Amino acid sequence: MTVTIFLILYFFITLVEMAIPYLVKPTIVFGVSVPEKKMRDPRLLKFKRRYSLTVLATSLVLFIGLLVWGIQVNSTEETLILITTAAPFALLFVSLACYVYFHAKTTQLKREEKWGEGVKQLQITDLSVRSRDEMLPWYLFALPMLVTLGIIAYTIVHYQQLPNQIPTHWGPNGQPDAFTEKNPFSAISSPIMLFIMQVMFLVINETTKRSGIKLSATSTEASRVRQLTLRKYTSWFMFLTSILITMLFSFLQLMTVHENLLSEVMMLLIPFAFLLILLLGSIVFAVKVGKAGADNWVQSGDGVGDFDEDQYWKGGLFYFNKNDPSIFVEKRFGVGWTLNFANPIGYFITFGPILLILIVTYFT
Amino acid sequence: MIIQIEPQSDVAIYKQITNQLIEGIARGHLRHGDSLPSVRAFAADLGVNMHTVNKSYHELEKRGIIKIVPKSGAVIEAQTKLLQGSPHAERIQHELKTVIAEALVLGMKTEQLEQELAMIMEDLKHNKQ
Repeated sequence: MTVTIFLILYFFITLVEMAIPYLVKPTIVFGVSVPEKKMRDPRLLKFKRRYSLTVLATSLVLFIGLLVWGIQVNSTEETLILITTAAPFALLFVSLACYVYFHAKTTQLKREEKWGEGVKQLQITDLSVRSRDEMLPWYLFALPMLVTLGIIAYTIVHYQQLPNQIPTHWGPNGQPDAFTEKNPFSAISSPIMLFIMQVMFLVINETTKRSGIKLSATSTEASRVRQLTLRKYTSWFMFLTSILITMLFSFLQLMTVHENLLSEVMMLLIPFAFLLILLLGSIVFAVKVGKAGADNWVQSGDGVGDFDEDQYWKGGLFYFNKNDPSIFVEKRFGVGWTLNFANPIGYFITFGPILLILIVTYFT
Repeated sequence: MIIQIEPQSDVAIYKQITNQLIEGIARGHLRHGDSLPSVRAFAADLGVNMHTVNKSYHELEKRGIIKIVPKSGAVIEAQTKLLQGSPHAERIQHELKTVIAEALVLGMKTEQLEQELAMIMEDLKHNKQ
């Protein structure tokens, strides 16, 4: 089971990393904004190709290395877990190094050839764009919370029935492998964590809704389609995730109350299905967003261009803009969102839930 | 309605926003009773500071073009006839005087000015762009 999950995750990461340069906005190449006229420059296309091929080659070499090693050495369960955790990280690290290299190359090309210099820079918005925003309303995100409250109530009613050892961790075989002493708090600690996560999804959905819908002055329609698609599918994907974790946590909690509720096979299959649905969902999300408006980017825009925001993007990865009240902005490299690091509220929303969950874990 | 600003222009950003909103109302893109986006949403979408948008809204309120209602935001006011001698009419007269004086100094003729006025009126009334 460990190996199967590893293989799925590993090839998923390889695929996603290879696809990123082709899924981002076409006017942003390796975190650098380029004018529409240059977005199909052969040198930039070559950079993208070389990036994807390097990621693929690294992934294969690493994988073959692991295979050979696995055959020769009789590995224990522990080293297997260590290796299967380390390999995806190694791959991500190589991708990042590769990104840094091509970010520098693209920046250099833009500077040397003075791309976008001497054009009138514009910032634009459409007063009616918000009426077309299709993000889900907050109360949908409140629905799974009712389930959590129900689960907590159910646990309290059946408190006597609970085992003396409350499971806190489940192994890859779907069976609990870590326990804690039973007390009123530890009995409901996992629904509490679930509740924290549900609140987090609701808050992220609302703050994303309040963040800016950024339109391009030259490719207004294409950028509008992309931004609205990104917002809509982010909202749907978060809702799906919220529903899935609610189901997973509820199953685990019910299993704690009634020990033989589900067969071992089901205990193995449920978390596996959870992982698979999430991975498939994120692929659908990335493809939908990547394709949105992709054919509508115009190549004209003589004399005018978008305001160059490169100054706010440190390394093309980290956005610092004190003037922008947005808490989340579209990522420059990757499909999704990143924080406006100049806005302290963003830190709260992202790190607050993690901290709370750690506190709950500590006191359990 | 599209709002387009030029951050490197000599004209202050809040002024650019104010001018475009006024023009949008004159052209009929925005009607009385319509509400403008919240300051936060407008600033986030345009990528400017909230104070800038706030300043623009207050300027429009001072000029009697919008009304800022707590909770429901900025709403465009219904306009009746602008009475001679009212503060708003006086302000417009004053601003026109400055512009006309400059035009005369630069050598513009009365007919030219009248023609110019007619063209602008035509453009605002019939050209939806």
